[in-house]
Amino acid sequence: MSATQDPASARIAGLDEIVERGQVWSRMAAKWGVENPVPPWKTSLDGMCDALDRASCEENIPDFKQRRDEEDVLSATVYSDLPYPENQLMSLAHSLVSRGVIDEAELKQRLASVRARLEA
Amino acid sequence: MVDEITDFEVLEIALRELCIEKGIFTAEEHRLMTEFAEQIGPTPAARLVAKAWLDPKFKELALAEPMTASKEVGVDWLHPTGWGTPSDFTAFQILADTPTVHNVIVCALCSCYPRPILGNSPEWYRTPNYRRRLVRWPRQVLAEFGLYLPDEITVHVQDSNQKHRFMVMPLQPEGTEDWTEDQLVEIITRDTLIGVALPKPGVTTNMIVDTRPAIHPGNAG
Repeated sequence: MSATQDPASARIAGLDEIVERGQVWSRMAAKWGVENPVPPWKTSLDGMCDALDRASCEENIPDFKQRRDEEDVLSATVYSDLPYPENQLMSLAHSLVSRGVIDEAELKQRLASVRARLEA
Repeated sequence: MVDEITDFEVLEIALRELCIEKGIFTAEEHRLMTEFAEQIGPTPAARLVAKAWLDPKFKELALAEPMTASKEVGVDWLHPTGWGTPSDFTAFQILADTPTVHNVIVCALCSCYPRPILGNSPEWYRTPNYRRRLVRWPRQVLAEFGLYLPDEITVHVQDSNQKHRFMVMPLQPEGTEDWTEDQLVEIITRDTLIGVALPKPGVTTNMIVDTRPAIHPGNAG
């Protein structure tokens, strides 16, 4: 099932947990007293979107228009409680999992290992 | 500094690593694209317009050969990252305002934007709210940015797409006739180059717009 067809019914538990914890940039910036308007990972996300657009002819990777359409739909539904660019990042993750490019369990495991590495 | 690892930071890294491991893109490709995202901004476009205001021959060049003129302000549309951005490259055109025509750009389909010369698009430019409504009710949307145009000024809404990108060349405002190029650059803000504002002496920042979700006509009651 693609995210475009029925994104609202295809919730992804690991991503829902991230929404619930709500570590959005506006809150983090206020908490730590920083003034950057966007989170530090934003340009890396932009780089990832550009790199994905170049690779879109392979497998089930969304092309530019599909990626943006799915982002629009998901940002207005499943991730409507998140601000930008958190909703952009979460929509991309949702698209890649929904399309089977990244497996949900594999993502969960990787989230844990990345966090462990960053907190080491 | 935010001394706390957030879930979003972790997610961005996790997605990127998995994509690289699956061979979807390389770390080198990602790094080049990220460097591009970090170094772009509206300054080259502002510089181009300031030069055009001061030099009629450069204005002619900018309108006739916008990619050549872009190179004079340091932007190579064919290789903005040093090795190209296919999703971005396009035909580029500069839309010059006249005393009777005001231009404004949008991408009704998604969020195509002249990134090499104007940087990343603002959040509101990406929203369905702006994209849907600008093409239907341009004066109403412009008014929400504080731009009220008299009826005798025609509004041209230019829709961008993956092949064609546009930017607006506003008119030089009164009272700036003896200004230097550097002074002019300061008032040629991103918003004036999109067309949702007009340059004005003393105004050097962009409008902060609360983004609102689009209301689908079928759900409006």
